Amino acid sequence: MNTKQLLLCGLISGMALAVASCDKDNNNTPPAGKGSFVLSVTGESAEYLMQVDDPGSGEVSIGNNNQQLEQSGYTWIFNSNPSVAVGLIYQQGDPGIGLGYRLSPDATLEAIGAGFQIPSRFTSYGFFGDYAITSVGGQTPAGTTATDGVTFNFIDLKKLSLETKPVVRTQNIAGNGEQATFSGIVDMGNGEFLTGMVLSQPRDPNATGGASSGIVTYPDSVWVAAYDASLNLKRIYRDGRISYSSGRFRSQYYAQIGKADDGNVYVFSGSFESTTKHPCGALRIPNGGTAFDDYYFDIEALTEELHFRKVWHITGNYFLLEFYNDKEPSALGAATKYGVVNMSAKSFKWVTGIPAYDQITGTGLPMAYGGQLYFPITAADPAIYVIDPASASATKGMTVTGATNINAVGRLTNG
Amino acid sequence: MKGLKYYFCLSVLFLLAHATATAQLDSTVTLGEVVVTGHSKVSAINRSAYNVVAVDAGTLRNTTMDIGQALDRISGVKIRETGGVGSNTQVFLNGFSGRHVKLFIDGLPAEGFGAAFRMGNIPVAMADRIEVYKGVVPVELGADALGGAINIVTRRTANTHADVSYSFGSFNTHKANLSLGHTTASGFVFQLNAFRNYSDNSYRVKTKLLDLSTNAYSTDDYWFKRFHDTYHNETLIAKLGVVNKPWASRLMAGVTLSRESAEIQHANLMKIVYGGRTRSAGSIIPSVKYDKYDLFVEHLHFSLTANYNRSRNHNTDSLARQYNWQGEYRGKTTKGEGQYALSEFNNHHYFATANLRYQAGERHHFALNNVYHYFTRKATDAAANAETSTAASFMRRANAKNVLGASYKFEATRRWHTSVFAKYYAVHVTGPVNTSKTSTAVYEEQQRAFGTPGYGVATTYYLTGALQLKASFEKSCRLPSERELFGDEVLETGNAALKPESSRNVNLNVTYNETLHHAHTVYLDAGFIYRDTRDYIRRQIEQRYGGAFYTNHGQVRNVGFDAEARYVYRNRIAIGGNLTWQDMRNREQYAPTGQKLVYYNDRMPNNPYLFGHIDASYTLFDLTGKGSTLSIAYNFRYVHRFFLTWQSEGSTIVIPRQRSHDLSVTWALEDGRYNIAFEVKNMTDELLYDNYSLQKPGRSFAVKLRYVFFRGK
Repeated sequence: MNTKQLLLCGLISGMALAVASCDKDNNNTPPAGKGSFVLSVTGESAEYLMQVDDPGSGEVSIGNNNQQLEQSGYTWIFNSNPSVAVGLIYQQGDPGIGLGYRLSPDATLEAIGAGFQIPSRFTSYGFFGDYAITSVGGQTPAGTTATDGVTFNFIDLKKLSLETKPVVRTQNIAGNGEQATFSGIVDMGNGEFLTGMVLSQPRDPNATGGASSGIVTYPDSVWVAAYDASLNLKRIYRDGRISYSSGRFRSQYYAQIGKADDGNVYVFSGSFESTTKHPCGALRIPNGGTAFDDYYFDIEALTEELHFRKVWHITGNYFLLEFYNDKEPSALGAATKYGVVNMSAKSFKWVTGIPAYDQITGTGLPMAYGGQLYFPITAADPAIYVIDPASASATKGMTVTGATNINAVGRLTNG
Repeated sequence: MKGLKYYFCLSVLFLLAHATATAQLDSTVTLGEVVVTGHSKVSAINRSAYNVVAVDAGTLRNTTMDIGQALDRISGVKIRETGGVGSNTQVFLNGFSGRHVKLFIDGLPAEGFGAAFRMGNIPVAMADRIEVYKGVVPVELGADALGGAINIVTRRTANTHADVSYSFGSFNTHKANLSLGHTTASGFVFQLNAFRNYSDNSYRVKTKLLDLSTNAYSTDDYWFKRFHDTYHNETLIAKLGVVNKPWASRLMAGVTLSRESAEIQHANLMKIVYGGRTRSAGSIIPSVKYDKYDLFVEHLHFSLTANYNRSRNHNTDSLARQYNWQGEYRGKTTKGEGQYALSEFNNHHYFATANLRYQAGERHHFALNNVYHYFTRKATDAAANAETSTAASFMRRANAKNVLGASYKFEATRRWHTSVFAKYYAVHVTGPVNTSKTSTAVYEEQQRAFGTPGYGVATTYYLTGALQLKASFEKSCRLPSERELFGDEVLETGNAALKPESSRNVNLNVTYNETLHHAHTVYLDAGFIYRDTRDYIRRQIEQRYGGAFYTNHGQVRNVGFDAEARYVYRNRIAIGGNLTWQDMRNREQYAPTGQKLVYYNDRMPNNPYLFGHIDASYTLFDLTGKGSTLSIAYNFRYVHRFFLTWQSEGSTIVIPRQRSHDLSVTWALEDGRYNIAFEVKNMTDELLYDNYSLQKPGRSFAVKLRYVFFRGK
């Protein structure tokens, strides 16, 4: 019996020890932040939202986050009026759950509703009036075998509800027999939005790469469509001086159209197609205009022959461009080089003061604020770099320790 | 401190409750001799030097459990289900899961058996016993099992028997089972096992409602009945053969035919609901097994097993509809509730295992074991689609793996014996590789080879006849898969320089097992485990490289204890329980990119680490005539809450604490020939979740009728 008692004692003390140490890790989590700037950050795999006072300086730990999200991999966009952040997601094979946030009167981050379902994937997105819009091309309308459908989702920013519009058929949209995939949404402020068109033959069902477009027959022209809120095609802007206006990465079509502070719209082309004769450049649609004017900017002449894939407006006539690292762009190519263009002066400068291109493991959605661009870059601990457009020089702002990436930075107001 | 006291009390309770599953093994409850023959083997395995638990499935045959649910009662093992009958079942063994724990059926790797024939849909009645090897795996089970292995041993007897059962219960659940066996005097053997499970899985769940006109979710949760979750599977296992011939001690040829069909109710978040998605799977598994005892010389045993598994998995998502939890839908403009798919995967597995054992005198045992596994897959997707497929998706992928093992067991004395073993793992893969440097992918079939050794030792010593000490160690590994070596050709690049994932596993056990005064059986077991796992193969994405790639990164240490205690009084009262606690922490300090990890020393997320189980039964004999028994059994399951992601990141999502109570009453007549059992599961109708958001069934009832015919030789 002695052995048994001994054993029992041993067991109990072992258990007690085990149990005592197991609650040790329920340590207090650090307090959540406050402030009107919102960051989306990724940890090892999960995504979190954070509120900070000043993204231009200091250091904060991921542990100070305000909220963990149920899904991760959101695309965030920030609208100013109404001031909301919209998170879009579509998970391979499953619909995603979109999220909306605003700043409550006491300046805390507040969810709008309980989320909305995003029933179709999207390759392009942007704001238009009181809506956030997503679009995807290459869709097969129910009851057909065609692949020229474009599905638009309109997300009401006030109610955070989503409406899928009837499929837009794009076969022969520009009169040359090609079908379109849309790229980017730019609000013209007059009840119309612009979207770049990648015109191509129908996608080869056996093609690789995940794109919704097929072979581009006319790589030396650019087309931009103007739609109204009911998706009536109002007009097509067309020109032969640059290639199509879209940056490509995997199945995504990145917007390359941006509006300057004076209301002029610049239509960029990163000349993704290897078959185009045009260098990377930009054209202009004057404020309220119905056609391109004679403005032309050969950007590639100033960029060591590198091609860009993303374009963000900073302030005035300044835009930040993201370049593919290799001279030949590809849908899987790395792109971690950055430069600032001044569209009126037609000048270009490489951004200085950011990590070397071969050290950058990730970047996020930037924010234009106070005449500067706050750009999240990850090289070791992720940080927000504040880029001054005139000098194209950057200073390191807020660092988020413990995160693997800052996915987005934006500002919300509760005024 | 309050929580601490609670768990202390809980653990004391567990210990004082010294009780059920294992003690029953050593008791002599008779439900036909089938069970009795099982006992000796089970206790022999439990007494081996390995950290192994064998469970006699015979005692569970009157329940409606599947293999997974039976495993869930074992210390160190946690089964996580995503829903009701036929849902995905994941096994956690000392914190290891997925590819790190290998499942075997009769010593053959179950990898290729397909979705239609798996732990979560095989009734426990099909098994004779279930063996769980924790951390150290004998050479006979040849596989690159990093964290351990589970071997399901099906019923095999030289006697004539028939075992037929049928159960029905809540959510329109029906389960039928048939087991027949006969051996003629001339040595001809015939065995047949067949089963069918059907369920509407129409249990109620609490979740948010999608407003189809606005696509917005409700703020509040409501209760809904599942409406698109019907599941059924059918399996037939037939074996024919001969025994006791001069040229073969046993030669059996057989075939397993299985299929399943399931509706898919929701995505991995329950609020994303479907009304038309389905999946189905089927497998054909012919096999042959040859045993020869005393081959050429006495005590030289040879066995050879070979099988071919062909499995087909089919997924359909073609409805142009969007559903909500009220079963309402509206038309979509494009096909597919999620992503339009009509995909089919055809997997082909070939296994061959050869085993040679030799016993020299009383003390020396030698074994040599070789497992060869060849796997090839081809996918077809009738709705080939931009997001999911590329030319390479349809190219051949093949994976040949060979595991050679040798072991030597030395019985120094009757009280002390030791086994040492070594394994050599080799893999040869074939698959498409993107050789293009431009945006247009060009694929080429390439081949790569890979090999690595492993080794281990296990020893046991009896202090007294009742008190046993065990210690074991293995350096185990998992080889990189063909996808990790090759990438997926489009979004991922492979890495031919990958190292295998490796783990150093240590186990210490103390077991006390004694029957006093022929009435009181006491079983106590305390185990300590240590796992040092390194070089996890991880998928990494970096913008500077474009696509994703695979790399070896990560180190995890697990220090754990488990304890089991049982008490049995004269087959009448059995009470027992176990408690598992494991401290599994990330020991990697730096990210692959060099920065410090905030979750260094954090507990591994999404991994149950404190759980236990209590069961008790009381049996009345001869209450309704001689040879009748009436037993009442109670079962309690506890899982402590755990975090979904890293706590130091400020994670707030938890999988809450789980407590469930089951009760059953079994009435057996004529020494177990006729049985009727009533079951109530999740008696208190708790909200149960093994996985985040995926609710399991509430309270359910079932009745099971069983007839057993047995004629011994």
